[in-house]
Amino acid sequence: MRLLLLLPTVTYRTVAFVEAARRLGVDVTVASERPSTFERANPSGLVTLDFADPAHAAAQARTFADTHPLHGIVAVDDDTAVVAAAIAQELGLRGNPVAAAAAARDKHQQRQLLAAAGVAVPRFELRTIAADPERLAHGASYPCVLKPLRLSASRGVIRADTPKAFVAAFERLKRILENAGCEMRDAGDAGQHASHIPHPASRSLLVEEFVPGREVAVEGLVTQGALQVLAIFDKPDPLDGPFFEETIYVTPSRLARTAQQEIAACAQAAVHALGLREGPIHAEVRHNDRGAWLIELAARPIGGRCSGALRFESRDAGGRMRDASLEEIVIRHALGMEVPALEREQQASGVMMIPVPGPGVLREVRGVDAAQAVPLVEEVVITMHHGQMLVPWPEGSRYPGFIFARGETPEAVEAALRAAHARLEFVTEPAD
Amino acid sequence: MGADVRITAEPIDNGRCKFLVSESVHAGGVRRFASPDEARGSPLAEAIFAIPGADVSEVIVSGNLVTVVKRSPAPWPAVGKAVGQAIRAALAGGHPTVASKPAAAGSATADDALYERVADLFDSQVNPMVARHGGRVELIDVQDAVVMVRMAGGCQGCGMADVTLRQGIEAMLQQHVPEVKGIVDITDHTAGSNPYFAAAKK
Repeated sequence: MRLLLLLPTVTYRTVAFVEAARRLGVDVTVASERPSTFERANPSGLVTLDFADPAHAAAQARTFADTHPLHGIVAVDDDTAVVAAAIAQELGLRGNPVAAAAAARDKHQQRQLLAAAGVAVPRFELRTIAADPERLAHGASYPCVLKPLRLSASRGVIRADTPKAFVAAFERLKRILENAGCEMRDAGDAGQHASHIPHPASRSLLVEEFVPGREVAVEGLVTQGALQVLAIFDKPDPLDGPFFEETIYVTPSRLARTAQQEIAACAQAAVHALGLREGPIHAEVRHNDRGAWLIELAARPIGGRCSGALRFESRDAGGRMRDASLEEIVIRHALGMEVPALEREQQASGVMMIPVPGPGVLREVRGVDAAQAVPLVEEVVITMHHGQMLVPWPEGSRYPGFIFARGETPEAVEAALRAAHARLEFVTEPAD
Repeated sequence: MGADVRITAEPIDNGRCKFLVSESVHAGGVRRFASPDEARGSPLAEAIFAIPGADVSEVIVSGNLVTVVKRSPAPWPAVGKAVGQAIRAALAGGHPTVASKPAAAGSATADDALYERVADLFDSQVNPMVARHGGRVELIDVQDAVVMVRMAGGCQGCGMADVTLRQGIEAMLQQHVPEVKGIVDITDHTAGSNPYFAAAKK
């Protein structure tokens, strides 16, 4: 049984997925957008695909599969989710329709489909960066949120409460989009030269209503269009702007059962509206006294290192309890292997995406041992390397690291994460 | 010695975890222990194998790095604290934490022969390939047919290092030196300062 694993070279997810596949004993072919130096030495295990052009990637995968039959495909981010859908369609593998994966990637398309299906979403309008911000500001309702159509990790998402703040946010997002334009690529741009041409999505933005309320993240697995919720993460730090850098995720959710049911129903409705059929989803949902609001839904598993906060328990054939990671479940599903009962572990669990402390070149991180020593803290991972630039939101999208904790209650886990973070000190130097 | 020792756990998955120690644990190359019997005479390895409920299957000690492999589903926080205590106790004990590698005999002779073949492969094929990305892979040792490597340059901390290890180096070993039973990366990837591919997305 051979799995095609789509791993962009910038992903954090490599180890988790490669090692999960090894544990399951499946053969793996890793596909990336840039060639591995070992590709000729291991032609069945490594392949380069044109992630910028899903149709081209599907044709490349067809050629590859002619000599190395593939039985499943897994994507790890928004862009490769579309590529995976195209390949799945080409090879007849389990996957999502291409249009559904593409709609999940594009915030405007997603909003249109969800609104048309009656899913609660913020009121939204599509604008271009060529528009006059002063004019737009006078026509907007406040508070509102300006956001790019495709960037990930809340990069470029800015709240504005007044016309003056709107104009400032517009100009700032315009600069972010101009800088990021070449990162957004897909079919129709220009094949292999696509990376030099700004994508149309980089010339547009959404202006949408700010929806107050508690925000949660929903992790789920879709099978034949039916969503099974694997976990709901509370986000105890209010995400009220002006920027929307994530910090703490804790599960199980402390929201009332009825609220959680509304959130799950909202996510299921969104899956249906987008036409997603198979595979993992990650959704951001807000809940307030008017119910659940779908903020975003992605046809991929949770990003970064955050999946480390999820652990599932199942019994093997001999009745022994064993752990399974989210990645194992995703791979099993993709390959049509039996997916064991999906019970999240009994303990509460959480992860903190360590906030960027400020702009500068990272020179040292102090206090990691002290943070690690905080009771309930399992791991403190610094993912940025010394000498790398720390870029705060909204321009940035990269956390300097992650803290993981487990304990009896969500409250204890949250407290442990905060205590560990308080012991970290980031030493930086101004950039040249 | 011992009380001020700083240890950072770096789990790879629920089965394997690297422990980075602020001082050298064993300066005499790499020692790998695949059973409590093999650990006899090496206080640190003995203590780690004896951790209750961990079902430790492998201990690898090299420089300031201790890699522990366990079969138990017990989470690393519980096991890791016991490993940390074992490391501190061994360092404070005043004796070598692990015994020197025994003189070549039996499997050691076979390992020496494997080492030569793996070293040839690394020199002739592996390192020229990773050098294209500014990387380097150092063959540290071969013990019981398990190859231990350390990555450097562009490979150290690279987001695709595990792909290079599994899909590149391990696959080449299976093809050219099929007697090799496994490969262990003992690199401190957190210390990599110039990775070829740096993870950038959330």
